Amino acid sequence: MSKLGVFDIAVRYGKVPAVNDLTLHVDEGERVFVSGPNGAGKSSLLKAISGAAATSHGRIELDGDLLTGRPPEAIARLGISMVPEGRDIFGSLTVEENLRVGTGLRRDAEAVEEDIAEIYANFPILGERRAAAAGALSGGQQQMLAIGRALMTNPKLIMVDEPSLGLAPKIVDQVYDTLCTLQEDRGLTLLIVEQSSLRAARVGGRMVLMRGGRIVGEGNAADMVDRDALAAAYFGQSPEKTETAT
Amino acid sequence: MSNLAQLFFDAASLGGLYAMAALGIALIFGVMKLVNFAHGEYIAFCVFALIVPSTDAVAVMFLGKAPALILIPVILGLGAAIAVASEYVVFRHLRKADPVAMMIASFALGFVIRNALLATYGGRPKAVSLWPGLNTPVDIAGASVPLLQLIVILSTLLVVTGLALLLKKSRIGLEMRAAAENFTMARLLGVRANRVITGAFALSGALAAAVALIMVTQTGVADVRMGGQIMLVAFIATVLGGLGSLPGAVAAGFLVGIVSVVLQAWLPLEARPFRDAFLYTLVIVCLLVRPQGLFVPASAKPRV
Repeated sequence: MSKLGVFDIAVRYGKVPAVNDLTLHVDEGERVFVSGPNGAGKSSLLKAISGAAATSHGRIELDGDLLTGRPPEAIARLGISMVPEGRDIFGSLTVEENLRVGTGLRRDAEAVEEDIAEIYANFPILGERRAAAAGALSGGQQQMLAIGRALMTNPKLIMVDEPSLGLAPKIVDQVYDTLCTLQEDRGLTLLIVEQSSLRAARVGGRMVLMRGGRIVGEGNAADMVDRDALAAAYFGQSPEKTETAT
Repeated sequence: MSNLAQLFFDAASLGGLYAMAALGIALIFGVMKLVNFAHGEYIAFCVFALIVPSTDAVAVMFLGKAPALILIPVILGLGAAIAVASEYVVFRHLRKADPVAMMIASFALGFVIRNALLATYGGRPKAVSLWPGLNTPVDIAGASVPLLQLIVILSTLLVVTGLALLLKKSRIGLEMRAAAENFTMARLLGVRANRVITGAFALSGALAAAVALIMVTQTGVADVRMGGQIMLVAFIATVLGGLGSLPGAVAAGFLVGIVSVVLQAWLPLEARPFRDAFLYTLVIVCLLVRPQGLFVPASAKPRV
């Protein structure tokens, strides 16, 4: 049985469909990239899984538990954590308070302290600025904080929406190094929205291509950088210009 | 000198009252983006809970007869209860609705509570003497200050510090602050929406009850309309302070209180009846200069 099962879901905003007939399975410990053009429904897919957006059809399961219809806080309790697009750091809270928001669902107070110490060990800058307002951190530091914060709920699956958005390439490298290390150390399952298929290919994993709310291609990220497959996703079936596809 | 001292105590106690009322509104706005116009009716409800329900002109004390040690927690609890109940009955069902729809619902709820009070207690203001001893003046720094003013100032400080500590140090406080900034993100991290919202309503209702106790002791009157008047001032203070900012609400509440006392004292005699016109002109000027409020919450700043 797969870790995460998405069965034939649809998400609509009013009458506008964002996701249609989408079925996706993610195995335990797997790293899956969701790629595709703007408006393909990638973020809506993550929102549907996390409970932030309602599905109008289909069902979503984690370890066989039905997620559909549950509020986000209940889904977080079942082991899904989210690093949203734009990071959504609580800017008026301190760095440490940001980390602690997600610990309300845990009963292992000692492990919480250990986790915070570990995050500070991995990201020394967060430790140095633990009492500072999180809004004052740089974009890269906020991304690290958002990842650390997602870890604090002790999740099995972390979903990351556009981690490279607005960050310098060097920082993006660091973000992915961090995500991959964490995944190995903790046996996490990762579902990452990444517009750059080149980046996905370099990091490695399975890639799912979305377009118009549906999955239009799937395979090993390294193989998927293939121009035709991408062009098909971005421009439909008749690839003419492929230069902009990365 | 004694005049100045008198002015100080007047300003501080009126400002404290406004600050508490403004805090009650800002708390709910922070977590729910709802301006709860029924807040004034929570205050009136708590005032009338002190007396025996009847439409007679003379008020007979009911809860008001209880000793302060019992009376205060009971009234605070009642205030919290009516606020939580209104969330449960009305606002919970409108959470996904437009903020304007919620605001209108709060008006409607206010009318319901007000008319229920009118029906049970009658429309005429009633004399209520709660703790009359508190109005005996005490001499401080040459000024003659009613004991109650001192108690109001002290209890405001106590309430504001207590609330600040609660928000800063407790789990529910952390969750409220996170939810006030980004509710969806807080929920994605496992923060329970119902717990946070119920907590905010309970605190807000208890603040309304505190305001009710102070007002009734100060004025000696139970009037269905008394909540509406202070609600207006408190709402102005929350806007002036920057909607959603708790420190802003407190500061602006004090500011409005201080300015109105100062205007009352220093305006020429002929102009005094129009004090509120001067006060609201100042409010308009403030908002023209700083439309985002005088004390803007960090969450309102754009972040990259």
